[in-house]
Amino acid sequence: MRVKRFSLRILFYLAAAIVLVALPSLVRSNYWLGTIDLAIIYSIAVLGLNIVLGLTGQLNIAQAAFWGIGAYTAALLNTRLGWPFWATLLAAPPMAGAFGVMLGFPTLRLSGRYLALATIGFGIIINLILHNWKEFTGGADGIPGIASPVLGPFKFSTNASFYYLGLACLIIAALAQLKIKNSRMGRAFQAVKENELAAELSGVNAFKYRVIAFALCSAYGGLAGQLFAHRTKFVSAETFFIDMSILFICMLMIGGVGSIAGAIVGASLLTFIPEWLRFLQGPWAMAIFGLAIIFMMVFMPDGLAGLTRSIVQRIAARINPDGQEAAGRPSSGRIGATGEGK
Amino acid sequence: MFDVTTFAQLFVTGLAMGSIYALVALSFALLYKAVGILNFAVGEFVMVPGFISVVLLTTLKVPFLWAYLVTLGLMVFFGAVFQRTVYHPLRGRPFVTVLVSTIGASLFLRNTSLLTFGADPRVSPGLFTAKTVSFFGVFVPPQYLLIIATLIVLVVFQYLLFEKTLLGKKMQATAQDRDMARLLGIPVDTIILITFIYASLLGGISGILLAPVFYVTADMGFMIALKAFASSIAGGLGSIPGAIVGGLFIGVVELFCAAYISATYKDVFAFVILIAVLLLRPQGFFGEKIAEKA
Repeated sequence: MRVKRFSLRILFYLAAAIVLVALPSLVRSNYWLGTIDLAIIYSIAVLGLNIVLGLTGQLNIAQAAFWGIGAYTAALLNTRLGWPFWATLLAAPPMAGAFGVMLGFPTLRLSGRYLALATIGFGIIINLILHNWKEFTGGADGIPGIASPVLGPFKFSTNASFYYLGLACLIIAALAQLKIKNSRMGRAFQAVKENELAAELSGVNAFKYRVIAFALCSAYGGLAGQLFAHRTKFVSAETFFIDMSILFICMLMIGGVGSIAGAIVGASLLTFIPEWLRFLQGPWAMAIFGLAIIFMMVFMPDGLAGLTRSIVQRIAARINPDGQEAAGRPSSGRIGATGEGK
Repeated sequence: MFDVTTFAQLFVTGLAMGSIYALVALSFALLYKAVGILNFAVGEFVMVPGFISVVLLTTLKVPFLWAYLVTLGLMVFFGAVFQRTVYHPLRGRPFVTVLVSTIGASLFLRNTSLLTFGADPRVSPGLFTAKTVSFFGVFVPPQYLLIIATLIVLVVFQYLLFEKTLLGKKMQATAQDRDMARLLGIPVDTIILITFIYASLLGGISGILLAPVFYVTADMGFMIALKAFASSIAGGLGSIPGAIVGGLFIGVVELFCAAYISATYKDVFAFVILIAVLLLRPQGFFGEKIAEKA
């Protein structure tokens, strides 16, 4: 049984890998490939949010600001100092992470509601600075002329080639998060989320872990921003407005808070759905979107990940009523063995 | 450069804007205190009645008194529907879930208003024909004085409501300990519904007062909500006097900073105050102890 399940899983991963590698040749349209690239970038930012919201239960309504900090760091280093993609890749996430610590330090001692409101203020301040500090950020004109990534003879200048680079970053980001989640640090995050007092009594410094989680979250945002800057080759302030922070939160909520796969699926869905809804006028789509969010919160609070889990459990229970317990809970023992988190 | 008349004019204007922030922050704080939610649609609580009053006054040419009464009547309905759809099905869930639900409501209201009323900014006619009146030698628009006076009246009203009436006591009891209140026979669900309606009415009054002096647009709620958040953090999250003082403080400081430091960064100052308060006195001017509210 176990062996069979294991080989099935390998088969699944192999199929997924083939589809992912072949995707650019399957999707011929450059436009849709560009949308896929964007979905990958958003997924990374949403994965960051998942650390703060999913693992420590705090709300960050400034992920777009960290995304912007990463993008502007990359844009400025590249256009002013001529740093190549790989150098800005090492600079942008720590930069965003440092801002995260700066914001987190005064606010993370307080209840999550204060953090939520403080992050909004931070997001607005960053956006207004990006918009108005013309000498440094180019103001409303933004910064054009950011170089495409180059690796030896390869230049990642088309949507299709950038796809592979973005996908590699996303896979690394997702695996890193899986590693974090199942590490001592990840358990500390969960402990802080479940019961802060109990965590503190077991020697977990809740404040320290909240700051770490927040820094990681903003670093993910910074990575997404760096990729975005080198892909679009142009950054300007209005991209990084609070609307995007809220959209990132919705992506995570729809995918399923706490789930890595959910974060990626949620981000991809909400990148594509507005494109599919293009035939509707802007406000119509946004009004429907607003209603959909309320419905989601009421009927699917755990997002698609939660929905999938409960469907799988129900099917498993029907197929094998006696093994309900085992099939229904893919818990501790197997996570380590197969490397698969929920 | 500095002269007393300008200073006084700025001060009154700041107080008027601050009174609006205070009313909106009050609406925000009431819901936070009563049910522990952060209402991100609080700006739409101002935008919707703003539009309703503009349409009644300009398109339908309804007399002022009736226009205002109908607007407030519709806001009673609005508050009740909001409570039933956005909050009630989610009561008892984590605060993030309810927060996201109010974000959904905000998006919905903003865009349906855009579809219904169009993208052109609207201005409602004011009650007053005079452009400015002399107030101790300072010329100020009478609407500003009306706004400030309304805030004073509402503060007194609310004090009497909470401290002197049974309904007010029940609202306080429900906010403090819902389970205990229920055990004492207080109809908690009804009280929460009344609190939502009251919060909605506060937004309605702000919207009506703001419409003659501020462009009414579908997006106006956004900045107002953000200023209300800053006000309630500055005053102390969930504190009623804090919301009022915080709102007035943000209104005045913002206007002076815009006039004497930088008009470009006008909107930044509210958030700089927000972050500064969090650094120096996180519980705000009137804050209680800070702990995760259950």
